[in-house]
Amino acid sequence: MTDTPISRGFGPRHREQTAQGRLPPGQYVTTDFPVLSAGPTPQIKVENWTFSLQVDGSLLGKWSWAEFEALPQTAIKKDIHCVTKWSKLDTTWRGVTFDDLLKSAGVATLPALYIMAHCDGGYMTNLPVADLIDGRAMIATRFEDLPILPAHGGPARLLVPHLYFWKSAKWARRLRFMRKDERGFWESLGYHNYGDPWKEQRYDGD
Amino acid sequence: MTATKDAPAPARRLEWQPALVRDIVVETPRVKSLLLDVTGWRGHLPGQHVDIRLTAEDGYQAQRSYSIASPPEDDHLTLTVERVDDGEVSPYLLDDLRIGGQFGLRGPIGGYFVWTTDIGGPLYLIAGGSGIAPLMAMLRHRRKRNSRAPTLLLYSSRTLGDVIYRKELDAMADGDPNLRIANTLTRKQPAGWTGYSRRIDKALLAETSFLPHENPKIFVCGPTPLVETASGLLVELGHDPLTIKTERFGPTGGQPT
Amino acid sequence: MNDKNSDHLLDGNAAASLLQDIFIPEVTTAQFQCIACSSTGALGSLRLYAAPMGVVLRCTQCDCVIMRSTLTPRGRWVDMTGARYLKF
Repeated sequence: MTDTPISRGFGPRHREQTAQGRLPPGQYVTTDFPVLSAGPTPQIKVENWTFSLQVDGSLLGKWSWAEFEALPQTAIKKDIHCVTKWSKLDTTWRGVTFDDLLKSAGVATLPALYIMAHCDGGYMTNLPVADLIDGRAMIATRFEDLPILPAHGGPARLLVPHLYFWKSAKWARRLRFMRKDERGFWESLGYHNYGDPWKEQRYDGD
Repeated sequence: MTATKDAPAPARRLEWQPALVRDIVVETPRVKSLLLDVTGWRGHLPGQHVDIRLTAEDGYQAQRSYSIASPPEDDHLTLTVERVDDGEVSPYLLDDLRIGGQFGLRGPIGGYFVWTTDIGGPLYLIAGGSGIAPLMAMLRHRRKRNSRAPTLLLYSSRTLGDVIYRKELDAMADGDPNLRIANTLTRKQPAGWTGYSRRIDKALLAETSFLPHENPKIFVCGPTPLVETASGLLVELGHDPLTIKTERFGPTGGQPT
Repeated sequence: MNDKNSDHLLDGNAAASLLQDIFIPEVTTAQFQCIACSSTGALGSLRLYAAPMGVVLRCTQCDCVIMRSTLTPRGRWVDMTGARYLKF
């Protein structure tokens, strides 16, 4: 078995020191914004865009882009953490919180415990509803005050910053309540079902 | 595809091996070739690639794939690396790596995008930028074997200074009536330029390709948009899609490399 | 024990050489058929995405996912349900 040859002088770019306690284990800070996609970038026209909230195949709410933009908007500043080890600090976003979406749909009692987020391009990811409510998540439409670029998930992406960033599904179009948890795209292929960066829950079994 | 006499050992699980930099050749302002010694290298087929792995002193690792640009007849392995702006790996390979430096390497990989003289011609190669690398392995192999297979290379670059292996390609074509090279420079052309001056389109392909009934073996390699445009146009020109083999280059899944 | 059915009792070990033939040699030349659009091609011609998290190979005709694979500390996962068949 050969030793791993060290390539002298090599190291990840943009490695920076950061304030104690802001970086989950195993992460390093980046100042750029890497793009990772499981598929081609959907080119979505907002005139054709709709967002839906569903349970058991029936619609709880549906919004056109204009209707969505008219909902209460919330601005947040959060750190985000990708399972591939980069973290980006103090990212600013604007959008509609999951709580405000439920309010707009008139959903007073949560119909189920789990949600599957469905996206253009077929990507999907699952989350406990508990991780979406009480300000923990939003459907974001602006990043750093500008509309989110298609490559970064625009016009609208799910944003759940307290979990690994694969849960912040790009090109989100539909949130489906599920009575039983089902695993999404990466969760069904060896990644952790929940994904807490502070417990370093990257892979199934971590 | 039949194996040549120098075919590598039968496929088995690949292990990482150390690659030692024997020499570094500056090809263009953005491109260098790394000539490597890999102990126990069992050979490869033209068109195959390798994975390389850089390990930092603290154990951090990054992995990328590069086509083998050298023919199997060479006693060393050549990888041709183009700078990816803001990348993580290519700036290290281009700016920091020295002769005597080393990194992990695994291969050869790939049986789909492969050509040997046994397969025969006509051979039709279309390259964009650093996509020339695996096709150069094929052309160098063809030359080492003194093959007379009719061969066409269509090579798209931004400027004349960006044409990788230019002198070597000119020399190859000069001495060989069966090899024709057409260059297209898409951004800037020198005074007196008689080659093409635009992105690959249907008319350009029609003027520089074999006809479908000649049954060429077709290999297209370069940035994804070029590869998809060229292969789509070739199908429109009547070539059987199954005779067109493609390899797309680009930053890893969108992440800066 | 001369159970006349024993000749038909096989397990994965008997299939080992079959599995080696399938999974060890060069697989990029294998032909697939897309379950969504029925187009065919070689695995080597597929478009690749998301390489750092895992491999996603999509049909060049319809973008349907043909294959997905991830490498975790506990093993490699492979899902090829997007291919109706593979032909080696």
